[in-house]
Amino acid sequence: MNTIHRALLVAIAACLAAPFARTQSQTTSAGSEAQSTSAGTSAPVQPAGAFLGESTGASAAPSTDSNAPQPADTTHAHEHVEPSSHAPWTARTLELFGSLPVQDGGRIKPLSTFAGFTMLRLNGKRTLTTFDDQKQEPVEWMLDVLLFPDIAIRQPVFIVSDVDAVSAIGVSIDGKKKRDRWTYGELQPGMPKLFSLAHDYDAVPPKERSTVQQQVVDLASNVMSFLRLARFFEFAHGGDAQESDALALIPCGVEAPPDSAWLTPADALRTIGPKTKLSETNAALISGLEALVDKRTDPAGFESALDSLHTRLVAMAEVRGEYARVPLERTYYKLNLIGWSLSLFVGAFLAVAFSWLRPKNKLLYRLTALAVFSAAVLLVGAIVLRCMIRGRPPVSTLYETVLFVTGVGTLVALFIEWVYKSRVAISAAAVLGMIGLFVANGYETLDKQDTMPSLVAVLDTNFWLATHVTCITIGYSAGMLAALLGSAYLIGKVFGWKRDDPKFRREQARMVYGVLCFAVIFSTVGTILGGIWANESWGRFWGWDPKENGALLIVLAELVILHARMGGLLRDHGVCMAAAFLGSVVAFSWWGVNLLGVGLHSYGFTSGIHTALWTYYGIQWGIVGLGGIAFWRERTSGAKGVPHAAAANVPEPPPALPNGKPTRAKRTRSAA
Amino acid sequence: MNVVRSILGRLLAVFSSLKTSCVLIAFLGLLTWLGTLEQTQTGLYEVQKKYFESLILVHHVGSVPIPLPGVYLLMALLFVNLVVGGLVRVRKGWQTAGVVVAHIGIAMMIVSAFQTYSYSESGHVTLFEGQHSDQFESYFRWEIVLNEDLGNGKVGEHVIPDERIVEARAHVVRVTSADLPFAIDIEGSWPNCRPEWVTAPKTGETSAQGVRLAAKPSDAQAEANIAGVSVAIVDDANHMRREALLWGAEAKPFAFVADGKAWTMSMHKERYPMPFAIGLQKFTKEDHPRSDMPKSFSSDVKIQEGATSRDVRISMNQPLREGGLVVYQASWGPADAMPGQPLFSTFAVVRNPSDHGPLYACIVIALGLVFHFSRKLLRFVRLEARTA
Repeated sequence: MNTIHRALLVAIAACLAAPFARTQSQTTSAGSEAQSTSAGTSAPVQPAGAFLGESTGASAAPSTDSNAPQPADTTHAHEHVEPSSHAPWTARTLELFGSLPVQDGGRIKPLSTFAGFTMLRLNGKRTLTTFDDQKQEPVEWMLDVLLFPDIAIRQPVFIVSDVDAVSAIGVSIDGKKKRDRWTYGELQPGMPKLFSLAHDYDAVPPKERSTVQQQVVDLASNVMSFLRLARFFEFAHGGDAQESDALALIPCGVEAPPDSAWLTPADALRTIGPKTKLSETNAALISGLEALVDKRTDPAGFESALDSLHTRLVAMAEVRGEYARVPLERTYYKLNLIGWSLSLFVGAFLAVAFSWLRPKNKLLYRLTALAVFSAAVLLVGAIVLRCMIRGRPPVSTLYETVLFVTGVGTLVALFIEWVYKSRVAISAAAVLGMIGLFVANGYETLDKQDTMPSLVAVLDTNFWLATHVTCITIGYSAGMLAALLGSAYLIGKVFGWKRDDPKFRREQARMVYGVLCFAVIFSTVGTILGGIWANESWGRFWGWDPKENGALLIVLAELVILHARMGGLLRDHGVCMAAAFLGSVVAFSWWGVNLLGVGLHSYGFTSGIHTALWTYYGIQWGIVGLGGIAFWRERTSGAKGVPHAAAANVPEPPPALPNGKPTRAKRTRSAA
Repeated sequence: MNVVRSILGRLLAVFSSLKTSCVLIAFLGLLTWLGTLEQTQTGLYEVQKKYFESLILVHHVGSVPIPLPGVYLLMALLFVNLVVGGLVRVRKGWQTAGVVVAHIGIAMMIVSAFQTYSYSESGHVTLFEGQHSDQFESYFRWEIVLNEDLGNGKVGEHVIPDERIVEARAHVVRVTSADLPFAIDIEGSWPNCRPEWVTAPKTGETSAQGVRLAAKPSDAQAEANIAGVSVAIVDDANHMRREALLWGAEAKPFAFVADGKAWTMSMHKERYPMPFAIGLQKFTKEDHPRSDMPKSFSSDVKIQEGATSRDVRISMNQPLREGGLVVYQASWGPADAMPGQPLFSTFAVVRNPSDHGPLYACIVIALGLVFHFSRKLLRFVRLEARTA
């Protein structure tokens, strides 16, 4: 992990040169690491090496001891008369800053996206609760970190899920909860220990790390990103310009080929040599950035300085044709289509719950249908916008599979509802939509990475993403929907809903069958297409890779169900039980194989998924089990001659011959 | 006669039944699942051999052995079931047309899988910039090569294939040939081993000049295994017997004199000739800007076929198809290369008689399924509309 190695290289700087050093120490001369590290401390200047030795000692004898030598910075913010707040950024400032293009993770994105995911990584959510109980949005917070680091270090922005990780680095944990947020100032005494532990734990393979080890590694990486941001304006304070490398804001020239690296201020300033001067453009941009620092306490002045810088940077990006999709991405996040869609699905779910209590109420039914339909439209809109932003087919990351599965699932369910109008499919759509989007949000929060990332070489092909990946994902979607409808059938039967309406049951089972047919087409074709892609790109059609096997398992399971139904081995009840089980097969293929941690396709590993996955397996198997009990009860009650209310009409399993073998069932030809 | 016919009829009925299909597919699913889980413990190559290319296998649940049919056997049975039940005996008509077509597609898949399994050759060519080669090397298969000095600068070559080397793991294998003035006994054979100094060899163990081959557990990446054999060159007529160790990673061949001629013997990965030579001119690896995520790999190569040559670019997702071979950009290295250090490019080379088989099969299957299920759906919707 590069971050950590980098972290060690600059550990000295990180520990001592507090980000806020610059705010007092305007006198520091540029260049020397030792000088810049000691700048701004109220303690006498020490060589960095001496400090490191000292602080290692301090962490061995825990630094909770107030007499222990402390890096002077911790107390610094309190000693000096520093503003604890500043005039709020104007709305236009936030807008301008958020829409600046920045190159990160191999692509150009709005700064607001970068700020959002940075805060998500550090804070665990996209809104910061400040020390004075205000709410701060990512862009606002990032402006503070960049320009008022002395305030930013007092913000509890570092989420630590297990307080043991903090005590491991020798920081007092008094008054803190197990899962709590920390300020940089609180963590600072433990920095040397944090980075040395992170270095050790980084060598442990991720699968073998303990929670605390993982937390330490994550925390170190988060502190590093924070420090890099806090030191971004180092050059403007006359500090070491090499530290100003957090944001690649400066577009490269028109002459550079597409997808060239943009420049950070550090890169731009590095071009200065004994004989070379900063190019005119870059010089203007650097002074534009410096103007931001000068005007930071004057909201109106800051806004106009930012405005002219914004115009310049955007014009440069536009000339390179790299700005066009930035406003679109801004719009995407601002519209928050997925958030709205989720709210509608939740609303629809509640309406569905009520509508089952008031089956006759037409208005409730229409409201539900409207909510589900609008939610689906919003979701489809979100997916389309994402395609436009990245210029890619709808599914290229694990996160996008969730959106797509949810979208396709609800659309198919809406179609079924249109055909049957029995409220079952629309209920399934509401449940699927709600759970799907909760999973999407949960995954984003767990993964904490840009959900529209650049793709590794082999995935970077629109043809195969559009064909194989899309087919497979539609297959997942249909499989999940079949499982949901099958489960609904079984649960309904167990609780005796609509006991006297065998037609309703038949219809339900027929829906499951229809969705399975739909699923088998896409799963089969998608799986084979995957093999053809593999043959095209690395020369073998099938390699028994876990992800391939997972896809095959879905196909095989669906084929068994359809053939068994055809052969009379499974009737309605059996098909629904098998479909409910199919849900766990799909989940295994979709998420489970990624957790196995072997194979070419293992991406997006997150431990939280493990719990969610096993919960889902548990639920599905539980439902299958219930279905089994219901089947057995029905059989035994039938055998005793107690007429079941629906027994006359609900197709029963084929009667057993005396030798226990079921007769070859005569297919009752239904319309389907 | 009637009895035979009725037994045959019974058998046919069993083989073609839907129940059999279900059981076979379910077993395929079970094996796929077990094989997937097993990969977390063992390497892919071993798993593939055990579960997917076998007739029968023993799976252990804890310490309980459970015999299971292998995927190879299941596929053969499924093929019979599919052809008899799904193509020959199935009721023909519009109702089943789509299903029959889809079944034809599946049968095509199985046939093309069989072709690939039996007749394809695959390996790699690894080249630094400026190097060229007209043969490719297997990833897993070994061979023992004997070279004989025919005089006048001519060299004769005799090859002992992988099958014999594998066979020798179970018992001593004697290789004889009319072309060879001696026999070769492969007395020991190890799929993965390292040479080791020994002071005194144990009984039944060959050591040559104080060195023995010590068996190592198989590497999870099977291509990293280095095989070795202990051999004896036996010429009973001349009362000659010489023992030698051959190790896959040894640079120098073992040299000896027999029948008045100079011979060498060595062991290396199987090599296959190509109808053309491939020379690497330039390897390019591009990352996404400001990230260490690879964006593309490509190799500019020169293809030399006889007197003619042409320049080709081979990149990820864009292989070269030439002379019955397909050459893919597979890998590069060294992984820890410093900037400016020369890189090598690895090409996967495959000779597969059914290269496009799955594609055609996929089209057939897709057509069949779409036809079948859209017909059903349309009929169903129409019926619903009528009853509604």
